[in-house]
Amino acid sequence: MIMRTLFVVLALISAILSVVLSILPVSNLAFLPAIGALIFGLIAFYLSNKQQKPKHIINLAFLLTILALGLTIYKSVFNTVEVGNIDELEKKEIQSEEEAIEELNDLDLDDVDLQ
Amino acid sequence: MARHFLLTIFFVFTIHGFSQNTAISSNEKLTFTAAYNMSGLMTDLAEVTMETSPVKTSKTTLLKLKCKATTYSKWDSFFKIRDLYESYVNMNSLTPYLHKRDINEGGYYKFMQYKFKHKSNIAESTKRKKAKVGDFYEENKNINIGSNTIDIVTTIYKIRNLDFSQAAPNKVYNFNVLFDNKEFKISVVYKGQETIKTLIGSKACYKLAISVNNSSVLAGKNDNLLWLTADANKIPVFAKFKIPVGNGELKIKSATGLKN
Repeated sequence: MIMRTLFVVLALISAILSVVLSILPVSNLAFLPAIGALIFGLIAFYLSNKQQKPKHIINLAFLLTILALGLTIYKSVFNTVEVGNIDELEKKEIQSEEEAIEELNDLDLDDVDLQ
Repeated sequence: MARHFLLTIFFVFTIHGFSQNTAISSNEKLTFTAAYNMSGLMTDLAEVTMETSPVKTSKTTLLKLKCKATTYSKWDSFFKIRDLYESYVNMNSLTPYLHKRDINEGGYYKFMQYKFKHKSNIAESTKRKKAKVGDFYEENKNINIGSNTIDIVTTIYKIRNLDFSQAAPNKVYNFNVLFDNKEFKISVVYKGQETIKTLIGSKACYKLAISVNNSSVLAGKNDNLLWLTADANKIPVFAKFKIPVGNGELKIKSATGLKN
């Protein structure tokens, strides 16, 4: 009885965690709790069958896990990594070079071989 | 992980040398993917680029060495990195004259600049940071440096001008690098040759182990490794780094404008 409740709770927690992770940029990490949710869910399912108890929560955990896995696989297949907005950085680069040339014009470069 | 993201990568790359420039062209661009280990899964976090370009001043033409780190868009709302490191060096000897570092990592901002005066062994330092209250504050200092002290960006490029073809395994190189107004002693050990697979093909490489003697930026003695192609360009193609809060990798994506 306690074992069944324990595995139902573990399956549900793992399933919710995998859904949360699958939404975040760290979606790759969702695989770990998803696998956990499937294992705990299967054990809970077996125990529920044996004890003839309801399986609604276990089904919910399976559904959430499938959703999380689907989203994670979709993101890993179709999402391409691209650099964020760098307009500000590009402006900074231009400004930095202009300032650097001014600084270099003022520096005494004769103390070392220039070419 | 935070604050010194690109610095960690630099320490992995860092070495010291006195040779002439035979490996770096004036319009080279190397692009890397930086990945960080998250709960056992290596996750691509940022793009790192290393570019060179000629810069004309009133007295001469210098070589600009520029390194940038930019997080991928999906990470920007969690931990945005926009780091810019620049050095202006002699075209042939790679002697640095000016070094600038502008880091913006997850809201943490810092600007450092060194003007190298090699004749007097002094570096004029300028530090700018966000003040706790108000805007920014600036701090200027003159730092005594050794005759061979160079900045962190220059050292990345100096490594590629070292001749490893005659080096015996476990040969150690010790280096002095000015960073955050302190001189760091860095040891680089040549570990031999290895062939590794990269996005730009299978490459025979020189394998190097890097450690920082008086800093905790890099963890372990043999956990920070760098692979340079065993050819005339000595391109850094792969690096593994371990820092106190985790470990990561740097993998080459593309290399253009090579000298040889």
